Amino acid sequence: MNQDIHIPALARVEGEGALTIRLKDGAINEILLNIYEPPRFFEGFLHGRYFQDVPDITARICGICPVAYQMSSVQALEAALQVTITPDVRLLRQLLYCAEYIESHALHIYLLQGPDLVGYESAISLAADAPDLVKKALRLKKIGNDLLKTIGGRSVHPVNTCVGGFYRWPAQDAIHALIPELEWARQASIDTVKWATTLNYPDFEQDYEFIALSRLDEYAIYDGYIVSSNGKRTPPEEFEKHYLETHVERSNALHSHTVDNGTYFVGPLARLNLNYKKLRPIARQAAKDIGLKLPLRNPYKGLIARAVELVHSCDLAIELANDYQPQGPSFKEIKLRPGEGYGVSEAPRGLLYHRYVVDEQGLIRFARITPPTAQNFAQMEADLWALAPTVVNLPQEEASLSFEHLLRSYDPCISCATHFLKLRIDRE
Amino acid sequence: MNNLSDGAGDEPSGTIKIIGIGQSLRGDDAAGLAAVQLWQQTYQVRNVQPNVQVELTELPGIGLLSLLEGAKVAILVDAVYSGARVGTIHELTENQLEVFNNEAGTAHGWGVAETLSLGRKLMPSALPGKLILIGIEAGQLTLGEMLSLEVETALPEVARLIEQHVSMELLHD
Repeated sequence: MNQDIHIPALARVEGEGALTIRLKDGAINEILLNIYEPPRFFEGFLHGRYFQDVPDITARICGICPVAYQMSSVQALEAALQVTITPDVRLLRQLLYCAEYIESHALHIYLLQGPDLVGYESAISLAADAPDLVKKALRLKKIGNDLLKTIGGRSVHPVNTCVGGFYRWPAQDAIHALIPELEWARQASIDTVKWATTLNYPDFEQDYEFIALSRLDEYAIYDGYIVSSNGKRTPPEEFEKHYLETHVERSNALHSHTVDNGTYFVGPLARLNLNYKKLRPIARQAAKDIGLKLPLRNPYKGLIARAVELVHSCDLAIELANDYQPQGPSFKEIKLRPGEGYGVSEAPRGLLYHRYVVDEQGLIRFARITPPTAQNFAQMEADLWALAPTVVNLPQEEASLSFEHLLRSYDPCISCATHFLKLRIDRE
Repeated sequence: MNNLSDGAGDEPSGTIKIIGIGQSLRGDDAAGLAAVQLWQQTYQVRNVQPNVQVELTELPGIGLLSLLEGAKVAILVDAVYSGARVGTIHELTENQLEVFNNEAGTAHGWGVAETLSLGRKLMPSALPGKLILIGIEAGQLTLGEMLSLEVETALPEVARLIEQHVSMELLHD
């Protein structure tokens, strides 16, 4: 590599990303990762809106993880308005989250990161040589989308979730009808874990601080306490005291760091490393069968963590679907009152934090949304610096791809279009 | 906001699907949604025809394949970038789409061309035999903005084009 690298932003919707790497005297001089973040816009957009519009609006931040945005927002608003949801609502929200994990993880494993690790340019070129593999991915993703649609009303941006519960209970027979496909998905996920061991992961391990939600009684996705691999435990309402965001001049995005100014890593690796024992037994068995050793400190192996979580999500979804028998009203009536509330859940990409202030008329007076990609941002840059010495002597195209592969392993918001990005190399 | 649907499911045979793609909170990105909605309002007779179905979807990505499944003909209406004058209407067949996409592209993540290409490879018999893309050249895609005047002005012509295609397909039915 003897020239600067610039991967420019293109028109897209999930977020826009650009990476520029500048050389000086043959060595890396500057790494600029710039990700444009729609959530920041939505914080302003929500100001003055009625609280019940928030789940629908925030679901539009991301086409891949709308449920996560809904789940963190409704929990924050329910805390602000002092509403306690029923156990049946919580179970259905967990099932809805399973749907999102299935469709999001299937997409990332097979169609976004998978092609990198088997040496294909994209899922389309992979489909030419391994059509059954890509068909399996599409079927898995469709099962997630179908479940999402059955509960949420639509397969891309669900509209059934509301503050206090759901607008209506999905029909029991419609949920039960999905079980045979979910059973197929569970077996396909176990096969995916095995397949994941056959991939070529770059040899790249770092000493990360992992942050994830945790619970004593379940693998925390819907809610939980914030825990760190260094032993720190933080209640959701204190998140902003311990995990700070600072503006970086060159970037539109805020960079997150711990209060001690360290970088940290959220997402499937963090969840698996911190909460492995809480996985469903069948997911633990799948991990055991491939001889998985924890902690995983290789970001590319986030794919393995996703595969294990796919087994967990399918298995949990089957149980929740089988037991689905909602009783009583699907939502709680809400009395307007001024208040402030916090909500944290685990989006497929990692911890997603929301905070809202609501006034006496139910209007939003303040919104704070801290997405997982923003929290991983500083860690991604640190990893690019760590990777740089090993790729600086590679041919230009190969070096560029190495950086791209590393970024894609994080499944950042930009990843849904990364294969859409065209590489441009500056020739200065 | 709750009037959007992506109703993939069992379709009557010979279904013509009109799919508007775009984001309602992002300036000209909403052009496809707005054009299909205008067509629905202008040609209300189509609303009761069981073999004419409308989908309004924000970020379908690869989910577009599910929306297309089972349809005989699909008309996709979407915002595009090609460097042409804002509000320009592009009428393309699927064959032209890939060429078009090399130089431009729709504004949606997993591009329409990319998704169709994958679908044609993997599930050719499930996809519509005929696919028409109507692209509307976008100007600003600013979050929270309305459609630009140029795109707004182009919408009646896009609605007329959609109706022209629908009528022709119904005649052939």
